[in-house]
Amino acid sequence: MNYGALIFLAAFFALASSWFGFVLTPQAQVGQLRQTNTVPAGELYPEAPPGLARQGLDVYRANGCAYCHSQQVDQKGTVCRVVLADPGTNQNAVLAALLKVREDWTEAQAKEAIAKSRLHVLEGVAKEAADNASKALKAAGAKTELWVVPVGPDMARGWGKRRTVAEDYLFDSPVMLGSQRIGPDLANVGLRRPDPKWQLRHLYAPRIEVKDSTMAPYRFLFEMRKIEHERSPDALEDLPAELAPGPGYEIVPKTEAKALAAYLVNLHMDAPLFDAPLTLPAPPPATNAAAALLTNAAPQSMEKPK
Amino acid sequence: MNGQPDQAIPAPAASAEPQAGRVTVPVWLFALLFLLLWWSMVQFDKTGGWFNEEVYAPYTSFTMVQDYQPIREGPDLSRGQRVFESICALCHGTDGAGKPGQAPPLAGSDWVNSPGVNRLIRIPALGLIGPIEVSGKAYDFPSGMTAVAPTRDMMSDEVLADVLTYVRQAWGNKAPPVTAAQVKTIRDELGNRSTQNTVKELQALPEEEAK
Amino acid sequence: MTESSPHEPRPLAAPGELELSCRLPLLVLFVSAAVWLVIGSTFFLIASIKFHSPEFLGNVRWLTYGRVWPAAVNSLLYGFGVQAGLGVALWLVVRLGDTPLLQRGLVTLGAAFWNLGVTVGALGILAGDSTGYENLEAPGYAAWIVFPGYLLIALFSVLTLHHRRVRPLYVSQWFVLTALFWFPWIYSTAELLLLQHPVRGVMQAVVAWWYSGNLVVVWFGLAGLAAIFYFVPRLTQRALYSRHLALFTFWLLILAGSWPEITKSAPVPAWMPALGAMSAMLMLVPTLAVALNVLRTLGRNYSNLRAHPALLFFGVGAAAFVVAGLVRGLMALLDGDPLVHLTWFSRAMMQLQVYGFFAMTMFGAVYCILPQLTGLEFPWAKLVRVHFWLALAGLVLLVVPLGIGGVVEGLKLRNPEVAFADIMKGTLPFLRASTVGDLLLALGHLVFLTNLVGMVNRFYRVRALSAYAAATADLFKAAEARP
Repeated sequence: MNYGALIFLAAFFALASSWFGFVLTPQAQVGQLRQTNTVPAGELYPEAPPGLARQGLDVYRANGCAYCHSQQVDQKGTVCRVVLADPGTNQNAVLAALLKVREDWTEAQAKEAIAKSRLHVLEGVAKEAADNASKALKAAGAKTELWVVPVGPDMARGWGKRRTVAEDYLFDSPVMLGSQRIGPDLANVGLRRPDPKWQLRHLYAPRIEVKDSTMAPYRFLFEMRKIEHERSPDALEDLPAELAPGPGYEIVPKTEAKALAAYLVNLHMDAPLFDAPLTLPAPPPATNAAAALLTNAAPQSMEKPK
Repeated sequence: MNGQPDQAIPAPAASAEPQAGRVTVPVWLFALLFLLLWWSMVQFDKTGGWFNEEVYAPYTSFTMVQDYQPIREGPDLSRGQRVFESICALCHGTDGAGKPGQAPPLAGSDWVNSPGVNRLIRIPALGLIGPIEVSGKAYDFPSGMTAVAPTRDMMSDEVLADVLTYVRQAWGNKAPPVTAAQVKTIRDELGNRSTQNTVKELQALPEEEAK
Repeated sequence: MTESSPHEPRPLAAPGELELSCRLPLLVLFVSAAVWLVIGSTFFLIASIKFHSPEFLGNVRWLTYGRVWPAAVNSLLYGFGVQAGLGVALWLVVRLGDTPLLQRGLVTLGAAFWNLGVTVGALGILAGDSTGYENLEAPGYAAWIVFPGYLLIALFSVLTLHHRRVRPLYVSQWFVLTALFWFPWIYSTAELLLLQHPVRGVMQAVVAWWYSGNLVVVWFGLAGLAAIFYFVPRLTQRALYSRHLALFTFWLLILAGSWPEITKSAPVPAWMPALGAMSAMLMLVPTLAVALNVLRTLGRNYSNLRAHPALLFFGVGAAAFVVAGLVRGLMALLDGDPLVHLTWFSRAMMQLQVYGFFAMTMFGAVYCILPQLTGLEFPWAKLVRVHFWLALAGLVLLVVPLGIGGVVEGLKLRNPEVAFADIMKGTLPFLRASTVGDLLLALGHLVFLTNLVGMVNRFYRVRALSAYAAATADLFKAAEARP
């Protein structure tokens, strides 16, 4: 029997099954993704990153930032929150419903709760309990909101509001999810540190922004040059004495540094999607809303409802 | 060769190629294999989401993901108002009274309050040019109205529907809401067209959109 | 399949014919592999030091951690790993088939291409052209050089196997043949789908994980196990315990091992991590099969291990394979991934598999093959044991602290009260231990390279001397004849 041919067939079959399962099938699913709509607002997601941010992705890749920083956020589970939006007209019925839902409340507490606006009736409960509570309160004529809240250590740490899903990386090439958390996760760093100047100072000398940081300084992304006429608006300010340039000189970020900072500031993966449901607090009426809204991104606010 | 401490490294006898014994694979190894296969399939059933591409851990099934979807109750008036005030109000005013030389009023406008929305939806989608009569008063704006929602990227169907609903229910207007489906139908019909609507053209169209 | 008594001499090849046919390509492959190993260890050491002192070489753009680390991995996996694996494969094909290697000139050319490609790749990474995909960082232009090199070597190995004089196949040949086929498919798929016509979004990460898993678990597993199943019986002069067990291992390795392990937090639908966990659980079975096979081959009397210094390497290699497989399987069974994903633990596991299992096995193989190839002994025989102890100590100091550190890090990450900066400070003691491990490994590899170079040097000197003697024999005879 020609064992050589048998071995070849065995190898072929095994590798083909693996290729079929882990290359072809994911390509049919995740590889065909297009922009999707957020839920429930129906806004397009994700948006293509602005040009400088796209260049920044390249700098991120070339300097191997992904070997210390991950860009993937996980959630342990999902809980619900029931919010009493409007107690309605029939106070007594709502009171009775509230007491049934929150058996641990006294009547006085329940009355006080109705008086407060936008009260959290139930926090961190399973969907079924939340649904029942919501139904009971609605039957009493109140208006409720059922919030979907992802929970997990990453959420608690402020690294994200929900888990990251395939749609979040649609415009990234290459996708650098990282495999270590030697530095904090960067999936939503644009929400935590939206100031490009902070990012630039951190890149120049991580220890001035984060005490005892083990991150290497990226001073080669900056250049020191003589101040001509007046300081450049990009120049780094308030550097400590041992890092500050001499009098008459300034530290200016190169285009690479600016691109990297723009990329980092643009990183946020918190839009509520079908496969990662999330309820975001309603944003306040935007003051300079024209610009924000014309880019189809609802301005996000980190503040909790009152 | 056995147990001999050596300094030099002896080359093994050149012609002694290894042979393999013929002991059969022990049964317990097969048993372990099948046990692990069974157990991992049980785990897959619990956590694998059955190959559904929209099920991500920690969700375990498509129905569970659907369950957790936020329920949208009715049109989002607050969003309609927000968008109106940042885009439309620049010309039409936050009170919907219009601005002389810029835009006609929307409050009490017959174009806005008409039950059918065929004509109304086309106005923000493509803009409008030409002398126009609004609730009995005549207006003429030389350059007309630009399209403020020409593509879905600029303003999705849902958002436009919310804006029009807000306009139809604010400042004393009392017209039924506009749905995203209605906006979608009209926009699909308009296709790639980018030229402004003319008032005459709109007046020629029926008020009710084709179903 | 004829039943023959163990160690039946096969008088088919002329003495030295086999060695002559493959000496040049094998010397090139093994010495280059050793050089790349030293280069890789140096890069790993630099990377490791940077944690304790971020300013170390801080201003040098091309030595920033994000470039040094992938360069180190690239050197280790491709410069050392694949080359050593190919060398062992070549040797096994030639010896077990009792056939001289076909076209050794072209095979050597292939090895030269491979080295050129890896060099270009490493330099490209340091220059900032890294692809961004883990374990496949060498830029696309390097792949064009590296791939033909591999194909040359693999093609002629397969042809040699096809023309073998000894028809029955030993188990190692199954492993080796499969490995020769495996790499071109996974490599070309990865290069095509990631660099030439990149797939969209997170699919890139899926392809990268698939490739990486197939390289580290399957390809290295096949090559390493082929060496273990050949050399352990050979050196102990005992038969391999069970051919059926070995083939059982083979089947399960290629079927279950080729499904990559994907962490649950990855932004991919839930079925992918679930299947990955399934594969890790199923891999427990071939792991145990290997353990059983090797232990029974060695017999109850472990003094067999002293028959040959190379057996120490194989012993550690097999043990590392078993430990790595068991840990992976248990982690999958106990759902430990949420605890240790994205921590030092996963790095420790990778180092265990590559350094602990594969590298150790390759060292053992080289220490066996080279004396036979050149007909000489190693110039500094004691250094072999020095290398072993350095390698073992380095391995333990590298893997164990990182593993424990990873678990500690994972536990702290779970607790949102602990500030991230404190978590990083908490891992520093473990990192210090692992830096010592890196240092010891680097020294061990230097010792290895010294021994290899010394042997090659001695070989060519002996050859040159004998050639000189042969050429001038007449002259001396004539001189002696004169009164």
